[in-house]
Amino acid sequence: MSKLLSETEKTTIIDQNGSRQENILNILLALQEASAGGYVDQETIALVAKKLSTTETKVFEIASFYSMIETKPQAAYVLEVCNSAPCHFTKSDEVSGWLEAELGVKRGEPTSDGLFSFRFTPCVGACDVGPVIKVKDAVYGDLSRDKVKELIQNLKKSK
Amino acid sequence: MSMKEPVLLKRVGKMKNPASVEEYRQLGGFSAIQKAIEIGKDQILNEVDTANLRGRGGAAYPAGRKWRQLFAIEEGPKYIVCNADEGEPGTFKDKVLLAEDPLSVIEGMLVAGYLFDSPEGFIYIRGEYRAIQKVFQEAIDNACAAGLLGTDILGVKGFDYTIAVVSGAGAYVCGENSALLNSVEGKAGRPRVKPPHLAEVGLYSQPTLVNNVETFACIPVILNIGGQAFLEMGTEDGGGTKLVCLSGHIKNRGTYEVPLGTPLADLLYSEEYGGGTSSGRPVKFLHLGGQSGPLAFPEQLDGLYSYQGLADKGLAVGSGAIVVLDDSVSLVEYSKKVLEFFVHESCGKCTPCRIGTTRALELLDDFASDKAKAEDIDNLDTMLANINGLSACGLGQAAGVAVRTAIKHRKEEFSSAARG
Repeated sequence: MSKLLSETEKTTIIDQNGSRQENILNILLALQEASAGGYVDQETIALVAKKLSTTETKVFEIASFYSMIETKPQAAYVLEVCNSAPCHFTKSDEVSGWLEAELGVKRGEPTSDGLFSFRFTPCVGACDVGPVIKVKDAVYGDLSRDKVKELIQNLKKSK
Repeated sequence: MSMKEPVLLKRVGKMKNPASVEEYRQLGGFSAIQKAIEIGKDQILNEVDTANLRGRGGAAYPAGRKWRQLFAIEEGPKYIVCNADEGEPGTFKDKVLLAEDPLSVIEGMLVAGYLFDSPEGFIYIRGEYRAIQKVFQEAIDNACAAGLLGTDILGVKGFDYTIAVVSGAGAYVCGENSALLNSVEGKAGRPRVKPPHLAEVGLYSQPTLVNNVETFACIPVILNIGGQAFLEMGTEDGGGTKLVCLSGHIKNRGTYEVPLGTPLADLLYSEEYGGGTSSGRPVKFLHLGGQSGPLAFPEQLDGLYSYQGLADKGLAVGSGAIVVLDDSVSLVEYSKKVLEFFVHESCGKCTPCRIGTTRALELLDDFASDKAKAEDIDNLDTMLANINGLSACGLGQAAGVAVRTAIKHRKEEFSSAARG
């Protein structure tokens, strides 16, 4: 997670995910998950293009089209607050305020240690437990200010 | 999760390992594919027709008709695709099936694979459900190991069929079937211009069936209990039960299996389902079927939750989402949230959708900040009508539905906000 992937490691991930055009999203998501900065850099995009016998432009088009694929470095934990209507009207805007207070940064800015940032995301399909925060593949629901505090503490500890 | 004897959710929560073929079998699983092989292809089509199963993704297109159209096409190979890109805000029901009874979806796709002599099925699961993709893959692997996927399935010579999981990566527009096929092919998920119909020119330009998760899960039920019994669980204009998602300002949020034809008021107020508002305040409006669906106001809620019952009131079942909003919510603010969503999710292919949604949102900002003039209500409505009329796919065509129903039924709220 914390060190840069070598070309061999990246190639292994591409091969594990099928190494064909149909699997490009799985491949890019897997590379992103394994990357140090939580994103796919230009070098990685070039490698994917080579392995899939396509062009860098085409891979970049995919990377930029899909919002879960990042092309710029990210904080270690990006807290995604759902702000679609069902969550928004069950107080997801308050969650955003709590995060701003707890982390001491504005939405979209990383903390100085690079550990956290937060942003809005469209519906993650957990409206029955809104307001929610999604961190990587996990969704935390029925949030209160205390639960948000606890989540941040737990993430800090697990780092 | 209500209803005395659920048929879609009957195994949910009852299996230790939802991906286990053995447990699925013990609870009645894989009897439908067996039966499908016994009764033969014409009879499968007849049962699905009789059941009057309407597409559960949102469009409500009769599955029987879709299946017959594909069946009539002679070219092949034909592909089976399951749309598990559940992205309509307020919808979280496919997730329940994918995570807690994945083999029911696999069995539905297996019946389709048999019927259409398909070599391969694909299930496109949204990127936000990465954890569930793993469960689903495990279920596929178990089905393969048990000889239910692979070659000569169930001893039927030449019944060779596999299913692959494809991940989405955060694009609402991929819920649109032609965009989804582009995404499965590893391209940017922009919709195609139709015609040609996907049944004729679908995945890899081959004839293709695309159905929603819940639609596929209904197939084993239909074969097990019979099309007629399935029809009778619902109403004449749409058989079966529907998974409904209650969220927003409602006491009992969650996924419920309800017979089509249940009074809408029961879904909201009975303790068995919604139990009334969470705040104790009156319901101001509902948002049905996702962000692309219409708003429903209290005077429209006296009918049945069925395809025709809602259509009679100018409403729609859509994905099954019911978002409840109490009287603390301003319609201008709500409309802004809806448009913000479409601005974010428009893929940018059609100019009216890409630019129109942004301009409509700017106009709504004017209403929210006392800058709008009285004539802006009609301007907004016309702008949304044009986006709907000039966009190529369902996203743009539905982007204005909610706000237009708000203007239609509660124009006075926009008028009182037009103070510029």
